[in-house]
Amino acid sequence: MAELVIENLTKRFGEVVAVDSVSIHVADGEFVTLLGPSGCGKSTTLAAVAGLDRPDGGRISVGGTVYFDERTGTFLPPEARNCGLVFQSYALWPHMTVFDNVVFPLTLRKVPSAERKRRVEEVLALVEMEPYADRYPHQLSGGQQQRVALARTLVYRPAILLLDEPLSNLDAKLRDRARTWLAELRTRLGLTTIYVTHDQIEALSLSDRIVVMNGGRIAQIGTPQDIYERPADPFVADFIGTTNFLPGRVVGAPDGGQALIELEDGQRVAVQVERRTAAPGSRVTLAYRPEQIGVVAEGEAAPDGAGSVVTARVISRAYVGGRWQVGLDLGGGPLRLETARPPSGEQVRLWLPAAGGILFQGSTDVSSE
Amino acid sequence: MSGAAVSAAGAPEARPAAHSWREAPIQYGTALLTLVLVAAPLLPVLYQSVVDRPLYDAGKELTLANFARLASTEGFGLVLWNTFVFSALTTVIAQVLGTLAAVLFGRTDMPAARVLGELFLWPIYLSALVLSFGWYTVYGPSGYLTMLWNSVFEAPFWDLYTLPGMAAIAGVSLAPVAYIYCMSSATITDPSLEEAARVSGAGTFRTLWRITLPLLMPAIAYSAVLNFTVALELLAIPLVFGEPAGITVLTTFLYTQGVAGVRPDHGLAATAAALMLAVVCFLVWLQGRLLGNTRRFVTLGGKATRPRPFRLGRLRWPLFILCALYIAATVVAPIGVLVIRAFTSFLSPMVPLLEVLSLENFTRLFEEPIYARAVWNSFIVSAVGGALATALIAMIAVIVHRSEFRFREPLHYVALFPRAVPGVVAGVGFFYAIALMPGLGEIRNTIWILVIAFTMRYIPTGFGAVAPMLMQVSPDLDRAARVQGADWWTTCRRIILPLMRPALVACYTILFISFFKEYTTAIFLFAPGSEVIGTALLHLWIQGEAGLVAALAAIQVGVIAVCVAAARAVFGVRLHG
Repeated sequence: MAELVIENLTKRFGEVVAVDSVSIHVADGEFVTLLGPSGCGKSTTLAAVAGLDRPDGGRISVGGTVYFDERTGTFLPPEARNCGLVFQSYALWPHMTVFDNVVFPLTLRKVPSAERKRRVEEVLALVEMEPYADRYPHQLSGGQQQRVALARTLVYRPAILLLDEPLSNLDAKLRDRARTWLAELRTRLGLTTIYVTHDQIEALSLSDRIVVMNGGRIAQIGTPQDIYERPADPFVADFIGTTNFLPGRVVGAPDGGQALIELEDGQRVAVQVERRTAAPGSRVTLAYRPEQIGVVAEGEAAPDGAGSVVTARVISRAYVGGRWQVGLDLGGGPLRLETARPPSGEQVRLWLPAAGGILFQGSTDVSSE
Repeated sequence: MSGAAVSAAGAPEARPAAHSWREAPIQYGTALLTLVLVAAPLLPVLYQSVVDRPLYDAGKELTLANFARLASTEGFGLVLWNTFVFSALTTVIAQVLGTLAAVLFGRTDMPAARVLGELFLWPIYLSALVLSFGWYTVYGPSGYLTMLWNSVFEAPFWDLYTLPGMAAIAGVSLAPVAYIYCMSSATITDPSLEEAARVSGAGTFRTLWRITLPLLMPAIAYSAVLNFTVALELLAIPLVFGEPAGITVLTTFLYTQGVAGVRPDHGLAATAAALMLAVVCFLVWLQGRLLGNTRRFVTLGGKATRPRPFRLGRLRWPLFILCALYIAATVVAPIGVLVIRAFTSFLSPMVPLLEVLSLENFTRLFEEPIYARAVWNSFIVSAVGGALATALIAMIAVIVHRSEFRFREPLHYVALFPRAVPGVVAGVGFFYAIALMPGLGEIRNTIWILVIAFTMRYIPTGFGAVAPMLMQVSPDLDRAARVQGADWWTTCRRIILPLMRPALVACYTILFISFFKEYTTAIFLFAPGSEVIGTALLHLWIQGEAGLVAALAAIQVGVIAVCVAAARAVFGVRLHG
């Protein structure tokens, strides 16, 4: 166990900059998730920590041991790093039994044979795979293979634990169970962990902190609540959860912590502005989570509190089991939300609470990505 | 449970002992060994071609006179012309036969197509030397069928002692190469292309001609260059049939000038060898261009998932009879009659077979220590040499495909280079290398020089069997071992090489067969005591011992048949090449 410090990590593949000056500080025992779409550089960062790829610049150290330093030319080969890495493919050796797979790292470390046996049994018990010690990997299910892969990594007490999309090869139901199990295990072990995934639910539910990456750079670092409730930019807002984006223009100076935004069709929406400045006349993008948007029935009064009522045109409605998914057009921009009952007319009135909207500078077109 | 958790999360383990220093010597050692092995025959040939006297003489001077001398050598123009005609004719015959066979056996509803296809492949497993003797026994001047023909008609319409006659033998023995490439191309070709043609109203033969055949063109073109190269390098057929008739090609020119002559002219031989090397290098480069990758040998055939076969209709049985006759005449007869000849004291259509059956040829063969030793040597060279070569090839493969070795790309190139080195050139080259290098004198008269030369020649073949499988092993498997503390060599030993076992077995089998039938390089290098079957066959042939030749050839055919059958039954490997 140790803290991991990544400073200005850079990795190029030919012309492409896969990781662009990334710095992350992971505290001792912390569980940090690298989250992002494929090609965002998260796996490359992980490979650089494990020593599988030699980076082009920066510095990586774990608990005082320098793994890589571009300036001094230090590069520890993977075998000298004592990292634990669980692969997306599990990478269990098909010609060895579960026991042989797990004992391999201990044999390398010249652990006496009696202790080796005890520790393999112990770690297999930890991942609840004790009865399967004599099986070969191909005789195990995906979930079982994943546990063995984890056991093989935990058995030698690595300095840090690296998990590369360990749940992505499981089917949906199994993934839910494995996630819960992993969450329990993580609190029990307290290992410094880097977890790579493109699944926001895994990231939100498992992590102490999340690093959202995009195009080789860090888009935002923060706790799951931070990332979800206060996304730093439209990319993060769009990537985590579902977000509706409304293009608009600031009319009138912020007043009492609120700014007035005019949508393309002239309707006006009040939003709370915290730190962000909203200069009058500037183009902005409003972001709303679907759950923050309410429907106001015809003739009904708007809910109490700060907010605005706007009218949107219904484009599509689809029953998705228990709820209706409604596609709307608000001021020329698409909007989606879920309602318990289908909208009756061609138009609906929407309640946009002032506290729920997030304001981003400039016009963005993330929804088409 | 909680106790276990505490223990698993306990103090980090001490790091494993680092062995990273082992990596460099192993990788550099292998690379250096490969380089020496490949350069050993080439440098002496090139050097000899530009000096004015034999390599082992003192006072050599650099000169280009050899090239001028070669150009003005009487008849050398004819040698080049013969070589070209022989190779071109061979290629045409091989391509036509191979393509026809691929279409008929692979894509139509001909009866027993699978069996015919298997038989069609047989010549590829045997050495051209044995095939030559087989053809001689059946179609030679006093061959079985020739005599049968003579008893009914007048003189036969065939004569093996001509360029077309030699090309016919070579073409038949190389047709399987075209067949294999067409078959593997046919299996990847989208059958819906043909179905579309048929749905739009094209008949069977129009579809074959307009759709199937054009789709096969890349395979035909590539295997044509391949076959042209192989024909160019062929020694056995021109040696057995060309030399007595005074038809010399490049390989036989090299053989007579380089070793067999009374006063070998080394300058001339080396220059001719260098010339041949240049031509073959160009052809191999052309193959690479045509294929887009650098495989010269198809070693593992894909599974044939056949598209819907064409209906031959009324032609089904006539075509079957035609094909069966072809197989009987070109595959079954030469091999079968040669084997029968081995078990008889005399073979003639005029004498009943039962009266002449005997084991005398074999008893005589093994009474003669030279020949018994040749068989034994062949076994040792193939079994031990094949194992050593497999080990080297495995090392090259893991370094090229599974290491961060700085020179792995050059190593890859060097390892595949012997594809461009004809057997005769390798033979001449190692012959000079022994003369040149004082240390090599020790192994001159042993079978180890053969092991070294054969290994050099067959590195690409073995590599072709190993590399595809290695690339199928997920790199995560060795990365996992590295992260867990195994250095590169431990990872190779404990993870990669065990996983490659099936490929290594296939590689060993292919090398065993290749070494067992190899003769081209050997006839330049053998000495009393280090004869192998190939050289003994030629020796017996020159003495006119037809029965003993047949017996020795039968041994080779038998051993290879057993190997091929075993490899197929036990490992399910298809061995081509």
